[in-house]
Amino acid sequence: MNEERSQDLLAVDNLRVCFHTRNGTTVAVDDMSFRLQPGQVLGIVGESGSGKSVACHSLLGLIPSPPGKVEAGSARLKGEDLLRMSEKQLRNVRGNRIGMIFQDPMTSLNPYMKVGAQLVEPLRRHRAASAKEARAKAIAALGEVGIKNPEQRIDDYPHQFSGGMRQRVMIAMALMTEPEILIADEPTTALDVTVQAQILQLIKKIQASHGMAVIFITHDLAVAADMADHMLVMEKGVVVEQGPPEQIFKGHQHPYTKKLIDAIPTSSKPPSGAPRKLEQLVQVNHLRTSFSVDRHTQVHAVNDITLDVRRGEILGLVGESGSGKSTLGRSIIRLIESQSGEVLIDGVDLYQLGTNKLKRARRDFQMIFQDPYASLNPRMTVFDTLAEPLLIHGIAKRDTLTEQINQLMDDVGLDRTSARKYPHEFSGGQRQRIAIARALAPRPKLIIADEPVSALDVTIQAQILKLLLKLTEKHDLTMLFISHDLSVVRYIADRVAVMQQGQLVELASTETLFQQPQHPYTQALLSAIPRVEL
Amino acid sequence: MQRITEQTATEPVLEEGSSLTRDAMHRLFKNRLALVSAGFLLLLILVALLTPWIAPYAYQDQNLLLGASSPSAQHWLGTDTLGRDQLTRILYGTRVSLMVGFVATAVALGIGVLWGATAGYLGGRVDNAMMRIVDVLYALPFAIFIILLTVIFGSSMLLLFLAIGAVEWLTMARIVRGQVLTIKRQEYIEAAIAMGLSRWRIIRRHVIPNAVGPIIVYTTLTIPSVILLESFLSFLGLGIQPPQSSWGSLISDGVENMENYPWMLIFPALTLSVTLFALNFLGDGLRDALDPRASKD
Amino acid sequence: MLRFLCKRLALAIPVMLVVITITFFLIRLAPGGPFDQERNVPPEVMANLHAQYNLDAPVVRQYFDYLGDLLRGDLGPSFRYTTRSVNEMIARGFPVTMELGLYAILFALLVGMPAGIIAAMRPNSLQDYVPMSAAMVGICLPSFVLGPILMLIFGIWLGWLPVSGWGSTPGDKILPAITLGSTYAAYIARITRGGMLEVLSQDYIRTARAKGLSTWRVVMVHALRGGVTPVVSYLGPALAGLLAGSFVVETIFQIPGLGRFYIQAAFNRDYTMIMGTTVFLAGLIILFNLIADVILVWLNPRLRQEAGH
Repeated sequence: MNEERSQDLLAVDNLRVCFHTRNGTTVAVDDMSFRLQPGQVLGIVGESGSGKSVACHSLLGLIPSPPGKVEAGSARLKGEDLLRMSEKQLRNVRGNRIGMIFQDPMTSLNPYMKVGAQLVEPLRRHRAASAKEARAKAIAALGEVGIKNPEQRIDDYPHQFSGGMRQRVMIAMALMTEPEILIADEPTTALDVTVQAQILQLIKKIQASHGMAVIFITHDLAVAADMADHMLVMEKGVVVEQGPPEQIFKGHQHPYTKKLIDAIPTSSKPPSGAPRKLEQLVQVNHLRTSFSVDRHTQVHAVNDITLDVRRGEILGLVGESGSGKSTLGRSIIRLIESQSGEVLIDGVDLYQLGTNKLKRARRDFQMIFQDPYASLNPRMTVFDTLAEPLLIHGIAKRDTLTEQINQLMDDVGLDRTSARKYPHEFSGGQRQRIAIARALAPRPKLIIADEPVSALDVTIQAQILKLLLKLTEKHDLTMLFISHDLSVVRYIADRVAVMQQGQLVELASTETLFQQPQHPYTQALLSAIPRVEL
Repeated sequence: MQRITEQTATEPVLEEGSSLTRDAMHRLFKNRLALVSAGFLLLLILVALLTPWIAPYAYQDQNLLLGASSPSAQHWLGTDTLGRDQLTRILYGTRVSLMVGFVATAVALGIGVLWGATAGYLGGRVDNAMMRIVDVLYALPFAIFIILLTVIFGSSMLLLFLAIGAVEWLTMARIVRGQVLTIKRQEYIEAAIAMGLSRWRIIRRHVIPNAVGPIIVYTTLTIPSVILLESFLSFLGLGIQPPQSSWGSLISDGVENMENYPWMLIFPALTLSVTLFALNFLGDGLRDALDPRASKD
Repeated sequence: MLRFLCKRLALAIPVMLVVITITFFLIRLAPGGPFDQERNVPPEVMANLHAQYNLDAPVVRQYFDYLGDLLRGDLGPSFRYTTRSVNEMIARGFPVTMELGLYAILFALLVGMPAGIIAAMRPNSLQDYVPMSAAMVGICLPSFVLGPILMLIFGIWLGWLPVSGWGSTPGDKILPAITLGSTYAAYIARITRGGMLEVLSQDYIRTARAKGLSTWRVVMVHALRGGVTPVVSYLGPALAGLLAGSFVVETIFQIPGLGRFYIQAAFNRDYTMIMGTTVFLAGLIILFNLIADVILVWLNPRLRQEAGH
């Protein structure tokens, strides 16, 4: 046992981290232990609030303290306990022996400093390198992470790089001192799927060539399985299971791991009993929406799009950020005005309707938004939120109102007794249920769902997806389901439309699109999806 | 927020929700400093309202024989050089200063909210033009303009209300506009539009209730700066004219005589400063209580 | 940058014109003529006076004459002191006011910014409460209260510092500068704290700490630039306030600056003097707002580049 320990690069034992706030104490990490060998990739998986980030940040003294506090445990880096180190000693470890990269590359670099100045800092600080040496090394590091013209780009500011490029800069910065361990905290979560694939590739390559150990924190089981030699599954601050990926996926002894794995949307949705109708509900013809960025530049967010949505189907609309998929969804129901084209819903062109007619027509098409925190008015109770559409469109009379609202709450699986509560008293998943109930209230024919599950944890995501499927069936709804997540779309949609830079590049049935993608962009998207392959 | 209820078997009784306003009030009541300040201000307002009945003397009553006297049983806060009761003068001064404070703030509030909300809600070119005007006005030396106005038209209460209100509305307009813009971008507004609500209903039900918090906070913080501006003008002799008194003019009198009769400076200065403290503490307390970041999970 | 500057200048000119126009016509709105108070002036003398001050011409003509004079930098003669011109008065008073203002703003920045930074480094600790309570005191003790109190304590009771004058006795500049600067020190401390707190919660600060940089370097190199941005945008309005504040401070400490002349002119109804000074001060404030804007753009690399093309 001791024999083995001496080889550990990092040995964490019984780590316990608490947050002491006015409202009481929360245990963020409890009794966490793990080992990290040189050159090993350790994947830590968990949902939000599982403590996976807090644990790693606390090793380096990077949690906000107060309120955070490491209460117990040890973390020995080659025998030296990081948790017993003074701030000064710890500073000599940070960015030197342990490097870090973070989730959001857009905000993780200092916008006021040139990337070069930021790159050289670790080397200057820890190795007392001369300015010249450090710069040469920075240029080399930029080159290594795949940035073209590093000699010039080193003098650019972060805003001159795209998201993926910034994450490369972050990686280069972490590499400057050749750390023994790289902690990557959700490094690809904020990135598009194709960029994510590139960054994951890069991390693998660099890990191999430098022989670093990597702690890879992610909420995405598939990504973790792809990257890691060894995995930890965390729930509410506790490591519920650890082992090599094969064991995690095949063995799954712990119910939470099983729940996580089951939540991964796999294959397509269960075949529905009702026969598919082929009749159209929505016909979009040559729709164009553009925005002027400034006086000279116009962005064509929706560029001549023609598509149809059939009655009773779920049409998935996928694309990366900036592809115009959200704008298309909003343009269809005139939340954003298009410049030209037509949208026929049940044969009526929305763009020909006057203001009042449009308002009345709106009960037929509703929207569900991405962020359940922002899409509910914080000053209205659930009851008021649901009553508003019912009353506006004259669907409920005063005396039937309560009954109808109860019905709606039952439909989306909310407790009737919480009708008088306010949005902030609910969890994210419950709020999304309220938003769904609100969209259902006027009994629409069409629902536009704009990334309805991307702000949610995987297990909640699975519940909401099931709910949406159940409701479309029950109420005979038609849905346009917008998402960046191909596996989610594959799970829920009957047909899928793919958008790239404002244009529709492919539209096919889900089966066909995933089996035989025609357009090269669709192929690229599909190959970039992290998959669990065991 | 640890009040998330798991879905259990249906109970017949509805659970009472706790609105943001109630949460904010709850937080405010825990802030002792803000509460004490609010209490002090209420008392001050009450005293100012009742001054004509509770003041021990009339404010113009002179007692030249007595002259300036230090605090005594007859004159709790002493008398000024003309033998006028200092407490009475301060009480009447409080009336004037508070009135200017409230009325001018109301003027600023009225113009600022209307201007800012219109600009923010309409957006686009209208917003651009309206905010450009505010920017231009911001660059003007307003204190100097007010002095100019008092010189030209002679100083009167009405002029003070209007002039000070005209200065203070600018910041109010900016804050309201910013608030409205933020709210307008929220998805719940989009959801309301998608639902087919009328513009007026959206403003009434969704925009205004969410904008009032910061407006209340800023209003509370505007009152002290208005009182300060009035005192500043009166101190220079350009605001409230004798025989009426305001805190500024009393302090000005006090400065002239502070070497011999320091109480003439100390009491009005203390009243002004304590009031400013109370208003600022209350404003800060309200801001902390209403802070949206505090009310999010 | 040059284009940005030109653009801002182009914006400043109409503002200046508005100020001049408003001031000019407001003065003409004043009930009665400027010499109405002079009793028993023979009509010939009155006519002479009017001619001397160009008051016999039509108002529009007067306006354009005034604009023309302004372009040549001539603010006209004083109404009260017939032998002096407004230019002379400004030339005498402004350097004093500027020096006072400079000391005050230096005091405000040197006290306010460090106080704000220190407070922001450990929010809700003693290190935060002490400077912030002091700032609250600074805000609630306006110059016309603080000045007399300082004077009473340090000048009269302790006798350490002179209580009036400017540049005549050593140390007579200390109390006025502190009196004028204290409120701004307080505001700057609060604004700095707010700005720094905002920046210190940013992701890139975490990155900097993860690199093993010292707290000092994290704060001074990474956070400060973003943190002081709101302070810089506050400097424009602060300056306008400072000028107005100098009226009070110059009155209290009997300093022969522009502010005191202005108040005297206001009491004397010296219209040309008021007008000239207003126009001059407005120009100054607009200029400083411009400078603050330029610094803001210069501080932010993104804006700097956008301003570049």
